[in-house]
Amino acid sequence: MENIALAAILVPFAGAALTLLAGQKAAKWLCQLFAAIASICMAELAYTYAAAGKVAHTYLVAAVGDTTLFGLTVDSVSVLIGFAVVVLGFLVAVYSSAYMSEGNREHPHEGTPRYYAFLLVFIGAMAGLVLSSTLVGQLLFFEITGGCSWALIGYYQKPKSLASALKALLVTHVGAIGLYFAAALLFAHTGSFALSGLAGLDDSAKTLIFFGVLFAAWGKSAQLPLHIWLPDAMEAPTPVSAYLHAASMVKVGVYIFARAILSAGHVPEIIGVVGSIMAVATLIYGFILYLPQKDMKRLLAYSTITQLAYIFFALSLSIFGSNLALKGGIAHIFNHAFAKSLFFLVAGAISYTCGTRSLPALKGLLKQSPLLGIGFCVAALAVTGVPPFNGFFSKFAIFAGGFEVARTHWMLLPLVILAMLESVASFAWFLHWFGATVPGETSEVVAASSKVPLAMQFVLVVLVIMSLGSSFIAASWLG
Amino acid sequence: MSHMEWVYALLLTPFATALLAFFSRGLGAAARRAATLFHLLGITLMLVLSLGTAFAVLADGPISAAGGWFYIDGLAAIFLALIGVVGFLTGLYSIGYMRHEVDNGEISVPTLCTYYGFFNLFLCTMLLAVTANNIIMMWVAIEATTLGSTFLVGIYGQRSSLEAAWKYVIICTVGVAFGLFGTVLVYSNATSVLADPSGAVFWTVLLGHAGQLDPALMRIAFVFVLIGFGTKAGLFPMHAWLPDAHSEAPSPVSALLSAALLNCALLVIIRYYIIVSKTLGPAFPRMLLLAFGIMSIAVAALFIIVQRDMKRLLAYSSVENMGLIALSIGLGGPLGVLAALLHVINHSLAKALLFCGSGNILLKYGTRDMDAIKGVARVAPLTALLMGAGALALGGMPPFNIFISEFMVVTAGIHSGHPWLMLVTLLLLTLVLAGLVRMVARTLLGPSPDAVARGELGVLTLLPMVLLLAMMLTLGVSMPRPVAAALDSAARIVLDQGDAPLAAGAAAPWIKTTAKPVPTAAPAAGL
Repeated sequence: MENIALAAILVPFAGAALTLLAGQKAAKWLCQLFAAIASICMAELAYTYAAAGKVAHTYLVAAVGDTTLFGLTVDSVSVLIGFAVVVLGFLVAVYSSAYMSEGNREHPHEGTPRYYAFLLVFIGAMAGLVLSSTLVGQLLFFEITGGCSWALIGYYQKPKSLASALKALLVTHVGAIGLYFAAALLFAHTGSFALSGLAGLDDSAKTLIFFGVLFAAWGKSAQLPLHIWLPDAMEAPTPVSAYLHAASMVKVGVYIFARAILSAGHVPEIIGVVGSIMAVATLIYGFILYLPQKDMKRLLAYSTITQLAYIFFALSLSIFGSNLALKGGIAHIFNHAFAKSLFFLVAGAISYTCGTRSLPALKGLLKQSPLLGIGFCVAALAVTGVPPFNGFFSKFAIFAGGFEVARTHWMLLPLVILAMLESVASFAWFLHWFGATVPGETSEVVAASSKVPLAMQFVLVVLVIMSLGSSFIAASWLG
Repeated sequence: MSHMEWVYALLLTPFATALLAFFSRGLGAAARRAATLFHLLGITLMLVLSLGTAFAVLADGPISAAGGWFYIDGLAAIFLALIGVVGFLTGLYSIGYMRHEVDNGEISVPTLCTYYGFFNLFLCTMLLAVTANNIIMMWVAIEATTLGSTFLVGIYGQRSSLEAAWKYVIICTVGVAFGLFGTVLVYSNATSVLADPSGAVFWTVLLGHAGQLDPALMRIAFVFVLIGFGTKAGLFPMHAWLPDAHSEAPSPVSALLSAALLNCALLVIIRYYIIVSKTLGPAFPRMLLLAFGIMSIAVAALFIIVQRDMKRLLAYSSVENMGLIALSIGLGGPLGVLAALLHVINHSLAKALLFCGSGNILLKYGTRDMDAIKGVARVAPLTALLMGAGALALGGMPPFNIFISEFMVVTAGIHSGHPWLMLVTLLLLTLVLAGLVRMVARTLLGPSPDAVARGELGVLTLLPMVLLLAMMLTLGVSMPRPVAAALDSAARIVLDQGDAPLAAGAAAPWIKTTAKPVPTAAPAAGL
């Protein structure tokens, strides 16, 4: 099993090198090919893991003496999330092949090998991060994803996008300092970098390491006070925003936090207190900043910040003993990845066909292009958590878990209620924009729009289906 | 050939090459070709001999030659091999770079012969500095490196380059004079306690009798040594010569200065650190190294983010990295020393790569001003790719080598109980990363000016860079066995541990290595 897992990590890296060497024409096909191979590897891994009775395993890959440097964790969580990030990578590669073309009305530009190579490196790094069993491995891939994000945000090489790219790199790198500390502390206490060592530590050491991890997680998942990079990162090409800044890279933060919680057994409650308070603060902050946004991508960026805050909230609740919240949080990582990429890719398709993504200019999407109208509708409902879409089920589990622990920890109750209020309010706000853009007579810009290319249509349809069904996959997989 | 003869051959080769290159200016029309050929043969032979010597040391233990005047142990072997590799690659790069300069009339053919002559002479003095066992000769050799390289810094003969060369000579000579005080103090101290005073001049003898030396004198001597040779190593606040000399010198020379010369002075400091730690205990020298290290990082990081001149930025990065190495030795413990030695290697490779890259850009654009250099990626894509990867690597991005040594430094720091210092260091390194990434974004990306012709400069200016980047990637992903073994043996010398096994961390992460077994005895694993 470890060979398949290693292949899923290494194939994209090898593909990136080839893509860079291949010419402009071959790059996009090579990228899709290698992303497809990586997806097949992940699917094969999931299948073998399930066929073997879902027994969690850790494989040692590199060690010096007794010090574990890098290993692979194959368990229900890593396989589920790994599958989502790699398959979404493939879908985004397919989408990009059509989006990055001269037919694009917002950015007429043929994608260069550099774009596809970084996309592949990123897929490999995500697989590596998700499967890593050590803090050093997580740190390594954490930094690689940061580097890719820098390269892809600044892809259009405009001064503004380069400045945003630098900002993203630096803020997430400051976050990474937490992970540097956590890894070094873990080594100082256990003589190894393996996350499994967390379980054997006393509370004070655990607290320090967890704060390191949590800080890094805030940086990568754009939570207060390290959220400032994400809205600016929307300078990136839209498929990149969909993949890096909604589906996968921002999930690195919550994932490493979840991984640490899963490895540590008992976690000091102070981590849960700090985690949940900051999560709710971010929730409210993110919601307030919905209101002035006119650019669809920036609105989505703030929505991503709040959805990640839900996941942090869920994981923090699990520290107080709610297994339901933990599962809800992990399922929300999975569900939100599909729903939010759908949303972004709809936004991308709108700017591809209409040449703008300014919400007030858009009206009557449904009439002009039913697929985009439906996609917008499904994405909005799924992201805000309306049944029967996927976001509802994971959010429900989170709130149920919240009320469960609030029985023993009464001070959590106001936080849970605040989070629920935010959920309702954000639904109302998305409904407002939905009503303004999707139904009705077409506006000038929309009427003049071009057709959505086939590859993009295919990806949107897949994501619409997943936005309906992903929560059933997650629920049955996590049990 | 015995090992001793290898050493003689190693030292004589660049010297002879230098003489041949100097004399070839008298050959008239054939001068250019002859000097280049001698240079190429010389650096190739030097590469073979230096690597051969280093491997011999690893296999058969330390080599002592010329009645103990030369001594090459595992520690010197690393620096020797680095001079060999970096000297060869920058020498190769020089051929391509200087060809362009001669073709464009920037320098004349006789100057070219002088250039190759001093280049090899400079290599010779550096080899002398790292192989010396006689502490007086160590000082002489470090002084000699100044003299050899000054002419290289001022080779263009322009006002600014002559000023830089002048500043370089004055500051380094005055600085290294402090080193002489330190050297003499140690020597006189040893002559009065040793039964056989004739041995007092040898580092190996001093190390053997370190316990008998007078602690008060050694304390003063180490301060002098650190200030003196620290000047040459570019530690703050004695670094003032470095940005000027590095930026005004021809790019291959900048590369050599940064990647090889600074290390030589650093090795001398490490040699004294070993003796002084044995006499005084490690607390005092470590404290000094920590202080100088963190100051160098801090000041250099602040200069890096405000630079507009590309080569000055890289020069300040040298100050920063030398500071990081000093800091890491100051942290102590096997992990700290290993991190420092690994960082010496990593920094040399990265900085050689970047100075070569900046040379290509300089030749293309005719300026080092980052406001004027735009869109290198469109003008010279391969240079831009190598340069961009190198800059990110230097900023500590995985999967390159610097990430590993920087991570090891942090781990060593947390381990030895300096969390706040490490926090400050990491924040400063973030600033450095910002400076480097900003450099990449401003110069490599964006639209290119019409006035600059497209196309690379030629194989000889690219091949060394490709090789350097390949080495950096290899060291980052899977450390080759000989390098791990060399680091291990060098770290044991610095820690004065004899044959005791070291703690984990010698080999690079991510790949199965069978480095040293069972780290239980070492302090790093004991916590």
